[in-house]
Amino acid sequence: MAENLMERANDILEKAVFAAAEFQEFNQEQTNKVVEAVYRAALNARISLAKMAVEETGIGIWQDKVWKNVIGTQLVYENIKDEKTVGIISQDAVTGISEIAQPLGPIFAVTPVTNPTSTAIYKILICLKTRNPIIISAHRNAARSTGEAARICYEAALTAGAPEDCIQMIPAGSRDFTQMVMAHPRVALILATGGTGLVKAAYSSGNPAIGVGPGNVPVFIDESADIPYAISSIIKSKTFDNGTVCASEQSVIVEDKIAEKVRKEFERQHCYFLSLEEALKVEKIAVVKDSMSMSPFIVGQSVATIAEKAGITVPEGTKILLAELSGVGKEHLLSVEILAPILAFYTAKDYHSAIKLCIDLNYLGGIGHSAGIYANDDKRVMEFSQLINAGRIVVNTPTSQGAVGGTFNMLPPSLTLGCGTGGKNITTENITVKHLINIQRVCNRKMNDRFFSVDKDKYLDENCDETDLRYEYHKNH
Amino acid sequence: MFDFDFNPEEKQFTCIFKGRMDTVVSSQLLAELDSKYISLSENEDKNALLEFSIIFDLKEVNFISSSFIRLCVAAKKRVKDGKFSIINSDPFIKKTFKIAGLDDILNVT
Repeated sequence: MAENLMERANDILEKAVFAAAEFQEFNQEQTNKVVEAVYRAALNARISLAKMAVEETGIGIWQDKVWKNVIGTQLVYENIKDEKTVGIISQDAVTGISEIAQPLGPIFAVTPVTNPTSTAIYKILICLKTRNPIIISAHRNAARSTGEAARICYEAALTAGAPEDCIQMIPAGSRDFTQMVMAHPRVALILATGGTGLVKAAYSSGNPAIGVGPGNVPVFIDESADIPYAISSIIKSKTFDNGTVCASEQSVIVEDKIAEKVRKEFERQHCYFLSLEEALKVEKIAVVKDSMSMSPFIVGQSVATIAEKAGITVPEGTKILLAELSGVGKEHLLSVEILAPILAFYTAKDYHSAIKLCIDLNYLGGIGHSAGIYANDDKRVMEFSQLINAGRIVVNTPTSQGAVGGTFNMLPPSLTLGCGTGGKNITTENITVKHLINIQRVCNRKMNDRFFSVDKDKYLDENCDETDLRYEYHKNH
Repeated sequence: MFDFDFNPEEKQFTCIFKGRMDTVVSSQLLAELDSKYISLSENEDKNALLEFSIIFDLKEVNFISSSFIRLCVAAKKRVKDGKFSIINSDPFIKKTFKIAGLDDILNVT
């Protein structure tokens, strides 16, 4: 059995390596032609793929999945289309250093159930733009829609002259096989988007990996914020695709002095504060107590479905369920990341206490991911940002859309968000083409005159200390 | 460097620190803290003393060194689990304990 699996893995990687070999012969123009063709086909399929993803996974809202597909195709394409990713990408006459982009080789990409088609297309585009073949491992519950996205992209790529097997899928559902491919010596890089376990498996495989995991996004509303605007923005973000973006708001933190105003504004904008009893019922179905993780059954579900599952009644048209919590951690299960329209709500006696709560929430499974602040006080924005461990701190912006980039700010649009070393990632950046090339530096001879002007015997002289050597080094002749 | 408050009824020691808790200050503090503690323990049964609470109030502290963190860990060991806490920390100080991985153990609020 294991031998059969290994044979299959070898077969997939052999095809990928052959594709990589051919791909590295492509110039920028040929590469761009492939990327453009894939982008066009994928953008044209944005609606059917969105509907298919929702139908297959039962997660999210198809109209929002369309927007995700637009981000993964059009916004990513517009962002990368003029990037130099082939051959000489820069030449600096002053330093004498030229940079040459080389492809990495076969990239093994794992895609999640929450954003299946958009993540697949985005990864395909950035891989092809960098002349890397891609092998996709879809989440088992999203294999059909992910496969369809890959098929559409692959056909378009072939038509534009891309190497055969530049996009491959591996069968979903076998963890052993996924891990076998992941650890295969011919894999150049793993691009893993998913839960902590997956990211750990990617980093433990022995192959280089860019793995990004979960978040637990705190949002602080400062007293200087425009409250109605802030609430409307949070709702826009938290309800987007029923809260499936890992950068979506998980908790809202305010000072006591504005708490009532914020509460009323949430209610005015059709959000519902759960009673203690109702919150316990929601907690029961939303969070798995032992693992302190969200239940997969409520991911991307609507408020109506969640209310029904929890056995509570909420007003029709309710957009978000809010649970007022007094603490963070295992005694307050709704404080963990929940990718559904459920928000934790905290009030604190003063600004410092509020920020400390944000730190606690940030460190509860979301280190390095994203955070949000609503404020019209730059000093507080910078103070908050320095205290929070997040790759992206989005200001006066819906966090789902803001962290992903490309719409509300100038971050590179990306469906894989680095969480830095705190999240066991190699970068805090939004992953894009620059992370998928090996840059060679051609260094022309440019003598360091200062170093060569120092009398080298002085380095060998015990009587010369740092002051003497510094003088010698900086001396103008 | 710090004010010391002992409430026998509540069985509670409160240490109110002030200013920068750098390496020099912190290393002196441990000895001072212990001497206060030991002088108290002469009047108390040692096991009963374990039941006491130690509270470090950092309201007026703007910097802590790693020595101060070690001091906190040492002080925590003087009492039973859950009887040590740090209150009124500035958010930057709170983050320092978080990064040191001691936020929960030392009950930092």
